[in-house]
Amino acid sequence: MDLLTGIEATNGALGAQRTRLDVIAQNIANARTTRGPDGKAYQRRVVNFESELLRTQGAAGRAAGGGLSTVRVAGVGIDPTPGQRVNDAGHPDADAQGMVTLPNVNLAFEMVDLITASRAYEANLSVAKNARQMALKTLEIGK
Amino acid sequence: MAIIGSTLSVGSPAIRPPLDLAPARETFAPKGPAGVPPAGGGFGDIFEKLVGDVEQKQANASQITRSVLLGDNPNLHQSVIAMQEASISFGLMVEVRNKVVEGYQELMRMPV
Repeated sequence: MDLLTGIEATNGALGAQRTRLDVIAQNIANARTTRGPDGKAYQRRVVNFESELLRTQGAAGRAAGGGLSTVRVAGVGIDPTPGQRVNDAGHPDADAQGMVTLPNVNLAFEMVDLITASRAYEANLSVAKNARQMALKTLEIGK
Repeated sequence: MAIIGSTLSVGSPAIRPPLDLAPARETFAPKGPAGVPPAGGGFGDIFEKLVGDVEQKQANASQITRSVLLGDNPNLHQSVIAMQEASISFGLMVEVRNKVVEGYQELMRMPV
């Protein structure tokens, strides 16, 4: 029995956006981290998504013409842009020339990403809410 | 009696339904012997399967919610969506039951 058809796609999208939010949180948290486990400044992480065909080829799949596809996180990549270098000889992580490499995290970019992820999550939540309301209204036919 | 019989026999050609309706009626007649439910399960079996499905959905929802509460699963939305699915399938089951009971009561109210 599959009453809320299409909710699986929304389910995957919500999970993907939540992962994206986690990665943005990590970027913002490490905006001033000059030494990571590898001894270098933190490099900004970016999430990339890929679509995934739902394995449950039920009635919903047939209705959508051979399978709904949801989204999942394909991987978390590293933004290779070099970080800003500042002269701060007193810094513990300064090199021989007294230069410190800062992370390549731009807080303004991260905030924009944060708002995008949050709005995308909200959009998927409205899909879930509407699917539920449609099913409830359909059940009201019998009343 | 003879008079009535004769009037009936006179009137019957006019009352008799058109011949082409007869086969259409036969298609709705039960095929098997009377009292035997059709093969593949009657309504009782279907309803039992529905109740089983609803129970399975509720068990699934409670299992996902438990894993979220225990911290094994960070996806809060999965728990809420599973609960909604369980609730809607329960609503469908209640609706089917209401209809069955309503039909039964309607039959019982029939003046004999």
